[in-house]
Amino acid sequence: MVDQSIAGAAGKLVAEGDRSGRARLVILLLCLVLALSMFLSLTSGASDASAVGVIRDWLTGVVPANAALGARDRLIVYDIRMPRVLLGVLIGAALAVSGAVMQGLFRNPLADPGLIGVSAGSSLGAVAVIVLGTSWLAPLTLALGSMALPIAAFCGGLAVTLVLYRVATRQGRTSVATMLLAGIALAALAMALTGILIFMADDRQLRDLTFWQLGSLGGATWPKIASVGPIIVLALAAMPFMARGLNALALGEATAGHLGIPVQRLKYTAIVSVSAAVGASVAVSGGIGFVGIVVPHLLRLLIGPDNRYLLPASALLGASMLLLADAVARVIVAPAELPIGIVTAIAGAPFFLWILLRKRGVIDL
Amino acid sequence: MIEARDVSVAIGGKRIVTDVDFTARPGEIAAIVGPNGSGKTTFLKALSGDLPFSGTVDINGRDLAAMKPVEAATARAVLPQATTLSFPFTVREVVRLGLVGGRSGVLPGENERLPERALARVDLDGFAGRFYQELSGGEQQRVQLARVLCQVWAPVLDGKPRYLFLDEPVSSLDIKHQLIIMNIARDFARRGGGVIAILHDLNLTAMYADRVFVMHRGRLAADGSPQEVLSDDLIEKVFDCRLRVGVLPAANMPFVLPQSAV
Repeated sequence: MVDQSIAGAAGKLVAEGDRSGRARLVILLLCLVLALSMFLSLTSGASDASAVGVIRDWLTGVVPANAALGARDRLIVYDIRMPRVLLGVLIGAALAVSGAVMQGLFRNPLADPGLIGVSAGSSLGAVAVIVLGTSWLAPLTLALGSMALPIAAFCGGLAVTLVLYRVATRQGRTSVATMLLAGIALAALAMALTGILIFMADDRQLRDLTFWQLGSLGGATWPKIASVGPIIVLALAAMPFMARGLNALALGEATAGHLGIPVQRLKYTAIVSVSAAVGASVAVSGGIGFVGIVVPHLLRLLIGPDNRYLLPASALLGASMLLLADAVARVIVAPAELPIGIVTAIAGAPFFLWILLRKRGVIDL
Repeated sequence: MIEARDVSVAIGGKRIVTDVDFTARPGEIAAIVGPNGSGKTTFLKALSGDLPFSGTVDINGRDLAAMKPVEAATARAVLPQATTLSFPFTVREVVRLGLVGGRSGVLPGENERLPERALARVDLDGFAGRFYQELSGGEQQRVQLARVLCQVWAPVLDGKPRYLFLDEPVSSLDIKHQLIIMNIARDFARRGGGVIAILHDLNLTAMYADRVFVMHRGRLAADGSPQEVLSDDLIEKVFDCRLRVGVLPAANMPFVLPQSAV
């Protein structure tokens, strides 16, 4: 039976088996959690700059001359921490929602852009631009400017997702085993091609690439946010329109069609928006794994699999979790900082194993 | 009315259904019977728009090929043989999915009550809070029927009849629930809708069908009322089994027919 403790407290108005009331409550709480995480992330760091001072300045509207904050602190808060917090929110939300959409599309709770090669494809696109941006791909980088990197990452992710879907889906049925195995093959191929590019890179590019691949929010700047922010926001904005369709898809593609869902259009919208969101994330912050699998899974336990609530809740929790992981990454070896991808992998990989153990009898490979 | 003309379906280069003419009228239950592998389900999938086919299918005078998914979903609901679910939805959440695309035909405010009403009709009162994946096969089949009923709750919408496509709706049910489900189908037809049902039980077919379509090796072998169609000759030819219609077993052998239900 579904735990009715929250519903029960609200009286008998809630129909049995209807978890939408509880889901709304959880979303409200997650908004608070996110606000708190943002505040925490803004006020903590290697420097003692007081973000509280900045906020006090906003509230009182004082002129810079007699502000509570010095010029150095203003710089740290406005130009270093604030873009970092914003980037963390965007990327955390993008990764978690992409995971949830991917899982709905493949009808499987194990589908994750990082696991099935989408991130590897995005990496390949991004590395190609970094290494070849001044030679073979020079026309591309000239034409697209700062958008070249996210667009190349998007194309790489899109290519992998399309191939994966073609390979794993026959007559409307997606084989999980085929999907995971094809994902491994495609990821290996993308990584091999990335390896060739790295082989071609010079020493300066090499160091950049290594740290970028581990994943970090460290390089957050306002221009970076301006280049990937719109892509992520657009992709996230498309996702609520897919929620009902993804719910119907849980019954199978044919049945979703019988229910009046334009399945083909839904699938392509999902694939394109996931590739865009993941590509943009990978372009600025490298490979940050497991957010897309841990967040939706936890939320499904809490509020059920209804995508109308799961998608926004995933965005909120994903953003919060990434900010907290980033805070850990910054604090744990201060004044140096750990790549955030390491933090999410250390927390996420055991969690993934735990899911496998719990569902051992259910997952049919 | 649903009219199919010269419908043929090929899967992977192999002809599964050949030149089938078929008509389902509002107010009637049209049963499709035939041995395993005779193309019944494939034909119903063509009618549902799941498989490419040659020939024409009109629903209420409109070409199926020209209908958008949401228009088709308003005109008919489809119950597949079996449905697997990939996430832990509650029974209520599954039934509510019936309301996702089409129009139930009740007032907007009443839609929220429909899942409970549909569950009560399929004798699953009190199951709303259970997890679908934890139910037995027969219970799952009835949950799916409740979902399908939500989709076309009003048998007539905007003056046009709507249809239920049922693929072996009673295959995994006990006798009580077989009768409940067939009565739901009959009730839907009596209130102006149309029903197309693939059935294996010839007794239930004789009892409920207004018109029987017999399929054999992908072709239509016969169609007409149960009295016209269910004959010793036809059963032997189609099912490859010598049976005699309307013969009582030996006196000491018990037999139970659904027709005897009171």
